[in-house]
Amino acid sequence: MCTYSRGPATAWVIAVDDHVASLVELARQAAESVTVVAVGWPGPVADGVDRVVSVRAPEDVPLEVLAPVVTKAMTVGESDVVIAGNQPAARSLAGAIAASIDAPLLHDAQSLSLAEADVECYAGASVASVAFNRPIVVVADGGNAVAARGPAEEPEEGESREGMSYGATVIDFEAADEPPVDLRSAKRVVSVGRGLKEKEDLALAQELARALKAELACSRPLAEGRNWLPRDRYVGVSGQKVASQLYMAIGISGQLQHMIGVRGAGTIVAINSDPASPIFQECDYGIVGDLQQVVPALTAAVK
Amino acid sequence: MKVAVAYKWAVNPRDVVVNSDGVADRSQAAAAMSDYDPVAVAVGCALAGGAQGEVVGISVGDGSVGSSLAKKGAMSRGLDRAIVVADDATADWNSTQVAQALAELVDRDGGVKVVVTGAASVDEAAGVVPGLIGGYLGWPCFADVRAVQSIGDGYRIRQATSGGVRVVDVNGPAVISVTSDALVPPVPGMKEILAAGRKPMEVLAASDLSITARDVKAVAFRRPEVKARGRRLFEGDGAVSQLVGALRSDGILE
Repeated sequence: MCTYSRGPATAWVIAVDDHVASLVELARQAAESVTVVAVGWPGPVADGVDRVVSVRAPEDVPLEVLAPVVTKAMTVGESDVVIAGNQPAARSLAGAIAASIDAPLLHDAQSLSLAEADVECYAGASVASVAFNRPIVVVADGGNAVAARGPAEEPEEGESREGMSYGATVIDFEAADEPPVDLRSAKRVVSVGRGLKEKEDLALAQELARALKAELACSRPLAEGRNWLPRDRYVGVSGQKVASQLYMAIGISGQLQHMIGVRGAGTIVAINSDPASPIFQECDYGIVGDLQQVVPALTAAVK
Repeated sequence: MKVAVAYKWAVNPRDVVVNSDGVADRSQAAAAMSDYDPVAVAVGCALAGGAQGEVVGISVGDGSVGSSLAKKGAMSRGLDRAIVVADDATADWNSTQVAQALAELVDRDGGVKVVVTGAASVDEAAGVVPGLIGGYLGWPCFADVRAVQSIGDGYRIRQATSGGVRVVDVNGPAVISVTSDALVPPVPGMKEILAAGRKPMEVLAASDLSITARDVKAVAFRRPEVKARGRRLFEGDGAVSQLVGALRSDGILE
């Protein structure tokens, strides 16, 4: 149970890994003092962080069950803000903290002041300015990784897990065939969608990606459902957001829930056989055609 | 075993018309069960198991949640019963208030051993309500769950994580948010839709619950700042070389 206190405002960053650069930046804008609650790791070396509380995770315990320990380690003030990362475990912890203080939980706030924030609605079709009373909880993309503290720099230790009523154990981990991909830092992306009818078409896109030195990405159905590509290559409202110089969308119709992940791209190229696809309204360049012809021709032309 | 499945009766943002001031017109958008919620119901049914099990739907929304259409839409997916808050007073509720209400429905019904939710709602896609429900119930919340089975008093869950699949044994009740492809839900036929009308749905008002979670008020709307796009289309035999030419002169390609 979080307890309340008065005094100067603190921004609490709830971090389950070292991707905290954007969270710390947001925290510094939101309050005078920044405390990072590092769950399951030693915490960051970062400018602008006044205090680090490290909540140790016993081996093989998933971070989600540490919620009671995390909330007990925090004394949330009336003017405070809690900023959590966007990872599943961080969202779980954010939910537990918000529930303990009856606080609103804002997802992906674009800006945050004492009593107002801008949030996207309807898969990015609209932006609402909303008003609230602090304390509140915000969930946001963590941003870049920062250096972690070494063992020589002792953070404050939060209470450990022992003595909690029930727990959970990680009993196995099945590694994926390829290491995780961070599309946020990709300069070029070749992305595929449901317009690809056969799995063999994927090879055409992979050839193009190789020729362009681009990362391969996809819309949701190809990662979840067809399982042609791993989930961390899915671009969209519940997936990755790109900020690449070039985004080539092949066989992607351009639905709202996908394009919200693409809007940060510099140049969008669309290749689709259906001239009525919404993507042609949101691209810089486009070709209406059969990808089985266009993609190999493009690969040859860029080599 | 009694399983609760939290579902949302929601509109797809694709069907919402947003004007130049950022104000949304939902009048042409038909609400339906949120896209990924049928998967949650299918998982709930598999977990509840056989004749001894029970799958209770829980939902919070405006008056339409209690309508005959919404009832059939939800119950035909395989729920045995439902208990919902269908009240226009909830229209301004934020995710914490909704989650507190859902947790209260779970407590009120009693005996629930697990709450299953879909990946995220089709209209907000924030994926925060499951964690909030867990917070109010005092249960851990696991997201991105691809498969779950009951073992003793708890569950074995397979969770999609960056880098692979993690298998976790939880020895107690939990909130479980499943991936959009955890199971392929059956498509309701006429038999399921007709039976749905006869299944019990308890409809509550917002005032029947005690919501302490605090308000958020929308004060203004605007369109997002979106980069203007060139929309230049290339056609015919020369299309590919023209495209490459354009990208080269933009400095995107060497």
